[in-house]
Amino acid sequence: MIQFQQVSKRYPGGFDAVKNLSFEIPSGELVFLAGHSGAGKSTLLKLIAGIEKPSGGIVNVNGQNMAKMNRSSLPYIRRHLGLIFQDHKILFDRTVLDNVSLPLDIIGFNHKEGRRRVLAALDKVGLTGKEKLNPVSLSGGEQQRLCIARAVVHRPAILLADEPTANLDRDYAHDILELFKSFHQVGVTIVISAHDETLMADYGRRILRLKNGQFSA
Amino acid sequence: MKHWLRLHGQSLARTLGALVRHPFSSALNLLVIGITAALPLALWLVISSVSSVASQIHIEPQISIFMRDSATKEDLSMLAEQLKNDPRIASSRFIAKDEALKEMQASSGAANLLAGLSENPLPDAFILSSKDGQATKLEALQKDLLTRPGVDEIQLDSAWAHRLERLLALGQTLFEVIVVLLATALALITGNAIRMQILTRKEEIEVARLIGATDAFIRRPFIYFAMVQGLLGGLFACAIVAGILSHLNPAVFELANAYGQKFSLLSPDFSTVVIVCGLCTLLTFIGAWLAVWRHLRQFT
Repeated sequence: MIQFQQVSKRYPGGFDAVKNLSFEIPSGELVFLAGHSGAGKSTLLKLIAGIEKPSGGIVNVNGQNMAKMNRSSLPYIRRHLGLIFQDHKILFDRTVLDNVSLPLDIIGFNHKEGRRRVLAALDKVGLTGKEKLNPVSLSGGEQQRLCIARAVVHRPAILLADEPTANLDRDYAHDILELFKSFHQVGVTIVISAHDETLMADYGRRILRLKNGQFSA
Repeated sequence: MKHWLRLHGQSLARTLGALVRHPFSSALNLLVIGITAALPLALWLVISSVSSVASQIHIEPQISIFMRDSATKEDLSMLAEQLKNDPRIASSRFIAKDEALKEMQASSGAANLLAGLSENPLPDAFILSSKDGQATKLEALQKDLLTRPGVDEIQLDSAWAHRLERLLALGQTLFEVIVVLLATALALITGNAIRMQILTRKEEIEVARLIGATDAFIRRPFIYFAMVQGLLGGLFACAIVAGILSHLNPAVFELANAYGQKFSLLSPDFSTVVIVCGLCTLLTFIGAWLAVWRHLRQFT
């Protein structure tokens, strides 16, 4: 499902965020991505999502080479992905409901059916009853749940979460990870990055450890 | 197809919603577009009103030939004969200097003035009317007649009509220049307004792009917004001009009446309204498209 072949990413200015990475994530796997901040976790996720283009190597997602993807077909690839951003990227000028329905609006989903899906997604992440609120009034953990709801509402095949447990206390972080586990159980391929490795240890999943843009043991 | 229509329907609904939600800035934008479009529209209506009247005036091109004092009787009779046989001339009439003096004494209050003169200052003259009123042909005729023996000076009495024609042509050119300038301005104003909107909705655009929005999806609401404003702005321009004209027209009518003319400025008719609205919509479309295009180009 996700395949890296000797992928490197050098940012303008000469910083190598990711160096010569090769790995494969088969369909339906849940993988953790560990490493300190600056180790290249975010860059790796951005390479999968086609937000960044590799300087070298091949990034294969769903059978498509993301490096060769042209501008007009990239949006359609992205619709198979669910992205949870480190900085949330919540829109504070609209309600929780409108935030979550954005991916469906983009696809041009039927309004009634879309609303049903949005409410289902909000229910799944435990935000039932808050759909009319402005996201400002949500707590940090609830905002994270909002992001998750937005990432899964269109039922993507791949879910990429960049530091979804950062700034959350341990119990809350576990709740969030349990949520991801439940998506994994229905067959979604999931990559979760985090700098706190002790949290991942409880799940017994494969952990890709990054250090200075390379895998470490 | 249904899907496509739904996407467009949603954009249009949101556009109208945005217009209603921000009544002040919407009104301001409409005002700017309306006034920008009203100026050339008003000018065009004035020009077309005047030219429609000008074309109705039947110009009977009169030419006056003034003879030299030294012109002999032979010169006069020869010229009279030539004029009679000239195919370009419809009719001619000879007015002797004595006759002209008598006429002048009778018709004007200049009798006292003339009485102070020891001799008749007026020349012998022919008055003719040309068959063709075209300015270039009249000028050719004038030049030709000037070469005849004894002829001193020739006056084209239709010169004013010629001048009006030139004035209208100048007005037309002026109108074209103003249209080009203001059309550019309109597109730029809209482009700038849309650019500001893009900046205020930058985050939304970024998020939408990251989760799979196409360029068209991002472009659509801005384009719709601009085009709806263009359409309403065009209507507004027509309303402004119609209002101004209905205010001006009684005065214009009175003025024309004082000169013994029936004249009033034309109000924008239906096809004019359609053209103005269409042009405004097109221009705002272009402006918005360029603004969004420039913004989207930043991402690759």
